[in-house]
Amino acid sequence: MFFQQIINGLILGGVYALIALGYTMVYGILQLINFAHGEIYMIGAYMGIIFLAFFTAAGITEQSLALSLLLAFVLSISFTSAYGYTVEKIAYRPLRGAKRLSPLISAIGMSIFLQNYAMLTQGATDKVFPDIMGAAGVDFLGIKITYMQIFIIVVSSAIMVLLHLFIKRTTMGMAMRATAQDKTMASLVGININQVISVTFVIGSALAAVAGIMIAMYYGVVNYFIGYTAGIKAFTAAVLGGIGSIPGAMFGGLILGIVESLGASYISSEYKDAYAFALLIVILLLKPEGLFGGSGEGKV
Amino acid sequence: MKRLLVILFAFALLFGCEQKKDVIKIGVAGPMTGPQAKMGEDFKNAVQLAVEEWNQAGGLLGKKIEIIVGDDQADPKQAVSVANKFVIEGAAGILGHFNSSCSIPASDVYNRAGIPMITPASTNPVLTERGYKNVFRVCGRDDQQGYVAAKFVIDNLRLKKAAVLHDKTTYGQGLADEFKKSLGDAVDVVYYGGVSIGEKDFRTVLTTIKTKRPELLYFGGIYPEAGMLVKQAREIGLDAKFMSGDGAIDPLFIQIAGKASEGAYFTFSPDPEHIPSARSFIEKYKKRFGELGPYSIYAYDAANILFAAIKEANTTDGKIISERLHSMTFSGALGAISFDEKGDVAKSPYIVWTAKDGKFVEFWRP
Repeated sequence: MFFQQIINGLILGGVYALIALGYTMVYGILQLINFAHGEIYMIGAYMGIIFLAFFTAAGITEQSLALSLLLAFVLSISFTSAYGYTVEKIAYRPLRGAKRLSPLISAIGMSIFLQNYAMLTQGATDKVFPDIMGAAGVDFLGIKITYMQIFIIVVSSAIMVLLHLFIKRTTMGMAMRATAQDKTMASLVGININQVISVTFVIGSALAAVAGIMIAMYYGVVNYFIGYTAGIKAFTAAVLGGIGSIPGAMFGGLILGIVESLGASYISSEYKDAYAFALLIVILLLKPEGLFGGSGEGKV
Repeated sequence: MKRLLVILFAFALLFGCEQKKDVIKIGVAGPMTGPQAKMGEDFKNAVQLAVEEWNQAGGLLGKKIEIIVGDDQADPKQAVSVANKFVIEGAAGILGHFNSSCSIPASDVYNRAGIPMITPASTNPVLTERGYKNVFRVCGRDDQQGYVAAKFVIDNLRLKKAAVLHDKTTYGQGLADEFKKSLGDAVDVVYYGGVSIGEKDFRTVLTTIKTKRPELLYFGGIYPEAGMLVKQAREIGLDAKFMSGDGAIDPLFIQIAGKASEGAYFTFSPDPEHIPSARSFIEKYKKRFGELGPYSIYAYDAANILFAAIKEANTTDGKIISERLHSMTFSGALGAISFDEKGDVAKSPYIVWTAKDGKFVEFWRP
């Protein structure tokens, strides 16, 4: 049972990590907590369910599951990124020079707006998506892992590796790191700050979209409210790992998922949410900058 | 000239507000937005239907009935603020709230103001156990429901080991506790615990439950969590029978759980489709709004009962209306309804339903 719970935790944690990356990247660059990020994840989930349903209706899923999934992912990521880009342009860019509180309030407003926007356009009831992967899986030493779970673990690890390479190896990644360290200095050496910030939002939203679609497929249910809980958990993960730090967000997410899973199974499920936040308090007391926070190094 | 126009305009606004006096205001409160918004919508639709019928027949006490909708978002704090709003706006009666956790705090406010309230769906016993003379419900109570569920498990399923979960709400936990209490010594409760509303992943708690090998998984809660629970239980290979209460019996439960919903049991009142007096309401409702929600018919009856009592009382004085409600027998869509001194319906007929071939069907009567 212990290992089964670890697997459960890893999957939860992988998804938290994907969302947490969006929080942490934006914070690294703008020192802004993008409260609308949970909603971007929710929009990603809706887009995923809409496109997958469309391709299933068009018969593509029946012919090739992989093609249908790929198309749904690509389309959903593009649309969701467009949302992220627009949110930044409308809600944060005009407040670039303002006091720190103003963009924060703007973010909360955006979050409420997007939630209600999804409720009014998609309805208040849960949208149910039929299982395309089913409950099939492999039994391994008494641990049952479904293909869907394997899919989630593989995709989230692959994406995190890609993101890491992008930040470390590409010019854009370097520009992002420079902007995170010092915006004024970066602009003086010819980095287009606005472009860097837009790219950050687009990448963060793309990651949230991936998390959203996978969760929509995993649980089969989407409603306009899912961004709230997921957003809070992912934000906790980001703070836990040290907000602003990319490895911090990844490990913070995984740790959070595993702690929740083990706490719920060995202590009591009633306090599931409390474990995550208790851990957060302990870590912040011992190491206020979070596990990986502090130095400018890992920051984006 | 401009200033004069402004002043005139302001006066026009004042007069505009004056004219609204000749209506009887009825507060309708429930989760109109949020995860349970569908319940609120079903509820509001049914009340709307009743109001239109009364207004077409000439209204109440010579005035039109006007509903004011309050959205409590299934949140107790919101419920109290909605209740205060209704009192300030001068509502003559309240239909709602939906969730027990909202109805209970809100009823304090209505009691202080002396406004009668009838809830179509709050089943927690506490609601009517505090000696309030203005609080009524047209649905049953959890203790009756938990008792029937336990009796079914003992007498019909003859199971020995059960796991009991709830969603930590007044309704869910109340139901789970009553169920557990009614099981007594006949069934061994191997696991008891709560999960959070809005949560989507129950695999951790289910994995723990699986190691205890229960034959039954009982859940006190609402359909989104119930659906995910049973679906994920089957995915991790926990094949205990699943049972829940009236909050889980919604078409969305079957949609969410898919094949896993087959064979799930629920305690609920008998099918309105089988009640002759409900036929005309069902037809009218379906024509206007589509499929009935599980509580639509209760909401419709609650509204009709309240209006009939106001008509009988011949006043909007809350105290007199409440007295009439206690003493009258109404024949509504559900059949004859009368209230006992607590404000509960005199008889509440809970039975056991099951999900079969993607539909809910009546299964067992105690």
